[in-house]
Amino acid sequence: MSTSTIARQRLAPILGRTARWVLGKLGGGIFVLWAVATAIFFGIRMIPGDPAEAIMGGPGSQASAEALAAARAEYGLDQPLYVQYFSQLWRLATGDMGTSYSLKTPVAEVLGELIPPTLVLAVLALVVAWALALVLAVISTRSGAVGTAIASGLEIVSAAVPHFWLASVLIMLFATALGWLPPVSTSTPAGLVLPVITLALPLAGFLGQVMRDTMARAQRSAFALSARARGESEIGVLLRHSLRHAALPGIALSGWAFGSLLSGAVVVESIFARPGLGRSLLSAVTARDIPLVTGVALISAAAYVVIMALSDIAERLADPRIQAS
Amino acid sequence: MNYVRPKATRLFSAAAAVAAALVLAGCAPASPAPESGSEAGSEAGTPVTGGTLVYASGDAEPTCLDPHVGGNYPQALVASQYLETLYTKDASGQLIPWLAEDSTVSEDGLLRTLKIREGISFTDGTALDAAAVKANFEHLLDPETASSTGFLALGKIASMKVVNTTTLELTLSTPDSSLLESFSMPWVAIESPTALKRSQEDNCAAPVGTGPFKVESWKKQDAVNLVRNADYVQPVATEGHDGAAYLDAITWRFIPEAATRYAALQSGEVQIIDNAQPDTIAAAAKTQTIKHLDAPRPGASNRIELNSSKAPFNDASVREAFIHAVNVDASIDSLFFGTAPRSYSPLSSAEPLAYSAESLFAYDPAKASELLDAAGWSERDAEGYRVKDGTRLTLTFPVSTSQSIPAEQSLFEQLQATAKESGFDVKIKLLDLSSWYGELFKNDYNLVSAPYTKVGPSVLSVLFHSDSTIPAPSGYFANLSQVKDPSLDALLDTAGSTKDEAERKDLYSQAQKKVLEGYYLLPLYDQQNHFLYSEKLRNVGATTAVATPTFFDSWLAN
Repeated sequence: MSTSTIARQRLAPILGRTARWVLGKLGGGIFVLWAVATAIFFGIRMIPGDPAEAIMGGPGSQASAEALAAARAEYGLDQPLYVQYFSQLWRLATGDMGTSYSLKTPVAEVLGELIPPTLVLAVLALVVAWALALVLAVISTRSGAVGTAIASGLEIVSAAVPHFWLASVLIMLFATALGWLPPVSTSTPAGLVLPVITLALPLAGFLGQVMRDTMARAQRSAFALSARARGESEIGVLLRHSLRHAALPGIALSGWAFGSLLSGAVVVESIFARPGLGRSLLSAVTARDIPLVTGVALISAAAYVVIMALSDIAERLADPRIQAS
Repeated sequence: MNYVRPKATRLFSAAAAVAAALVLAGCAPASPAPESGSEAGSEAGTPVTGGTLVYASGDAEPTCLDPHVGGNYPQALVASQYLETLYTKDASGQLIPWLAEDSTVSEDGLLRTLKIREGISFTDGTALDAAAVKANFEHLLDPETASSTGFLALGKIASMKVVNTTTLELTLSTPDSSLLESFSMPWVAIESPTALKRSQEDNCAAPVGTGPFKVESWKKQDAVNLVRNADYVQPVATEGHDGAAYLDAITWRFIPEAATRYAALQSGEVQIIDNAQPDTIAAAAKTQTIKHLDAPRPGASNRIELNSSKAPFNDASVREAFIHAVNVDASIDSLFFGTAPRSYSPLSSAEPLAYSAESLFAYDPAKASELLDAAGWSERDAEGYRVKDGTRLTLTFPVSTSQSIPAEQSLFEQLQATAKESGFDVKIKLLDLSSWYGELFKNDYNLVSAPYTKVGPSVLSVLFHSDSTIPAPSGYFANLSQVKDPSLDALLDTAGSTKDEAERKDLYSQAQKKVLEGYYLLPLYDQQNHFLYSEKLRNVGATTAVATPTFFDSWLAN
């Protein structure tokens, strides 16, 4: 038996596991997207009124019968519901998200313009939240019972703060009273500060709570003791061993956190008058713009699925024990 | 026009601030400050050319910048900067020709001849002429355009004929005494016929007009960028200046959140905001750096309509009882901080033909009780609500959260509370716009509040003519109180077709008296249209016929 055969035999089950894992994730992702598309399709049609009105400029439009009929025909709304449903699924599957009723532009084009600003906002908020949570966890673990109590209090308060309220307070403090930062999110980097903090603070509180608990447990564990016995300094133990443990639940939660950032973006983008997916979702729902609502929801769901998978991979990399299980 | 004198204290503090500034600067005003209720006294100084005005709108972002498509107020606001109308209203509220020079009508009222002004060009170089106006009307009447407001306004035009470059003849299906008022609305503004030939998508992105500004670019969810029309020719000389506007550009931003909008104004990031909320107007009055423009919209007043087509409001005495059971004045005062004067008319105070009947709308629970007893609602149940034949005196009140500001929703809640004392069970349902329309289409309401903006008293026909109880194909109908009164229809029809201005006034007064005395509606206040602006922005106050501000004469002080 050659070494390569042995390697192959050893590798095969691992490859098989990875393939199964990838396929599972892919299947799960497709299922989620299908469920979202279906829920949106039927959900929006439960709202009273005629989607053709939305195309003609809103439910209060006094559009003529001919104009409504033309709109229905153009957007396929004169077809039976199941035909509309399957043809929409087919279009979505082939990558065609249709044309926005209210903006009269292809949904893909609208999303192309709105994804980048929201992505910037969400990623920055996630990074800031992580940084805050880690700093808070390290400092509180280093500073004993009083520090822990203070940090824990801060975390609970910030985790519980609603975005809407936080944004208003930040605007009042930093824009109106101090005049340091613009209250509306302009194209300058300064305009990003308040929206990012608004999204990051509650998330940091949440992540911090989980990470600090795990870190404290790790500090008391056997491997920490043995590291200390080997002469590792206290800060060394914290940074080299406990931090890695503490990061694990944080990574696991980041997928969920990203989803919560997207929903937070609806509020934050509206308050800070920032273009993005969240704000367009709000106006699309108000205008009953079915293609646009579907597009935003699908993109958000897809992002959620991808981030969940990425956080899964990151978790496996950080903790080899997960692979074994 | 449409300009309400600021409260005396505010005027005084503004004047005092200016006086102090002048003393500090070592000079005195050259002449006594004008008295006229304008803020000219605080706007002394030489106009400065240049600068970009940043306007922050709280209205929805238009989905199309051409107000022919659809036709709502957010479109009118921004379009007033780059489009102009055939007619408009002057500072005293009088209808005056603008892009049109003159107009005559035949004896039978069926042939309207429009004279179009010469020497005016669209910003793409196309000349304004009769054919251009015809192309606009055709665009508005084309179902493909999907015009609602403009389409209705031109509904009586049967055919058009270009007689020569400056003359357009319109043949009407029935006489229309409100046609010129319709021509003054931004939804019927005149655009370049060359530009109209583009695709609807292109025209929506950058309509081409004759106004003092033109559309340069539009970044969705962010801003419409307007730049000065260097070749602007004002159709009619006004008190202001000649030539192009002072401002280089206007950045028209969309900031949906009221508190953010006000913060942006306070921090100097924007110079003017619309949809100012009552509490911020009151707060701004205490500052010396922010000023207030109150320009109520024309057309109907904001009102609660009582659905007379179903129980219990099919009984006029129950409608009357409800109106006496609610304490409107006290609630408006407290919730709107004195920024919204009470209305007793179906029409806006901006309408010269508005008729008021204050005496009908007194808060009088004793009278309400008397009327309800007489109408058979004499029993009360355990919770204190009145009942008749085992049915509770319940009123459903769907409220659209996108059309009613928070202060108004609170007002409705207070009215609900006072009506309860007289035994009415008012059920307020807060709904999104689509669901709200859904309730109306199903006739599932007793009370409703809906705005309606249109220039001129003909809005009364839209709201109270029995024809308006017949739903449009979309389900929409405008006569929400569902008045069906042949004598009222006759008054409105005659008023709509008469050529005699005195007769028109008399007929519309009678019609208003009829709906008020029938207790079909509870007038509340004018459609709120408040602007707050930085004192650095000078000469704001000029508005179009639909009370949108224009910035041709405005300038930014350093």
